[in-house]
Amino acid sequence: MLSPKRTKYRKAHKGRIHGLAKGGTTLNFGSFGLKAVTPGRVNAREIEAARRAITRHMKRAGRVWIRIFPDVPVSRKPAEVRMGSGKGAPEFWMCRVKPGRIMFEVDGVPANVAKEAFELGAAKLSVQTRIVARAA
Amino acid sequence: MSETTSLVAEVRERGGKGAARATRREDKIPAVIYGGKEEPLMVALDRNALTLTVNKGNFTSKLCTLDIKGKQHQVLPRDVQIHPVTDAPVHVDFLRVTAGTQISVMVPMVFTDHEASPGLKKGGVLNVVRHEVEFICRADSIPEKFTKSLAGLEIGDSIHISHIDLPDGVHPAIRNRDFTIATIAPPTTQEEVARPVAAAEAAPAAGAAVAAPGAAPGAAKAAPGAAKKAEPAKK
Repeated sequence: MLSPKRTKYRKAHKGRIHGLAKGGTTLNFGSFGLKAVTPGRVNAREIEAARRAITRHMKRAGRVWIRIFPDVPVSRKPAEVRMGSGKGAPEFWMCRVKPGRIMFEVDGVPANVAKEAFELGAAKLSVQTRIVARAA
Repeated sequence: MSETTSLVAEVRERGGKGAARATRREDKIPAVIYGGKEEPLMVALDRNALTLTVNKGNFTSKLCTLDIKGKQHQVLPRDVQIHPVTDAPVHVDFLRVTAGTQISVMVPMVFTDHEASPGLKKGGVLNVVRHEVEFICRADSIPEKFTKSLAGLEIGDSIHISHIDLPDGVHPAIRNRDFTIATIAPPTTQEEVARPVAAAEAAPAAGAAVAAPGAAPGAAKAAPGAAKKAEPAKK
């Protein structure tokens, strides 16, 4: 799973996701992309599950680019612990995704294979998505 | 020489955010025409006609004829602002051009003969580094596209700008180096994609305790320190 090699601070604020994506909204590498249309927190496990679904459907042909990176640590308190006494321990990594963000790109496969792969990959993600293609 | 497109436009009087939004509410797209040593002219285009033209592709590398009150304006689309979520055009910039104007324009690169490439047959992937390349040429001789055959290319081979046959009067904007346009990359293997996992596991060893959540998400449940801290709160 994707995670930062080192970070400046161990814990991060929860934050809120407002507005639309400012960058990463157009295809940069491949011919097809999976674009988020709703805001959300996509964690490292979701990214890995989606990547596996996409590459396996493509039968490891073509190429996949992941354009999001989970760099925000999410903390959780243990079960049956009363409130207070500080912030919980970091549990997993996530990335804040704004609408319009291209999360995955693929190239080197026919359009129908890319579409099916993205449909399988999108099912693993917690944001609603749309498939985009480079203009002919 | 690329084909030209034609669109009908009407002049809009007011500029600014509010006026532009009002134009969009009327199913029109605001645009501006500038350059040619004349005053900028604010216009509005029909949404459907513009969207169809933009979606055909290569919109910014084709000359465009704008019909404004029966008068023809020869322009080149310089920029199309696209909505980040819907990918619908939001605003267009047009540059007035004459036949002899030297312009820089993005020209698409097209690759053919995929079947004739031994590298692609072995499972290699065409990695297009630049889908479009910036060229400097006359406005009346913008190339529609550049086609390059992939015949005979093996895994690891590259296509550089020097491999493209350019017509007279057309030269790339980057002239100081022979930049890469595409490569035949080896296929993505399981070992390659497993690399980030190995990096994450190696991170704690390098002294980064923060990488722990990625490596062991359930570690906190067993953390004795956390339970000890929580105990006074129960009293």
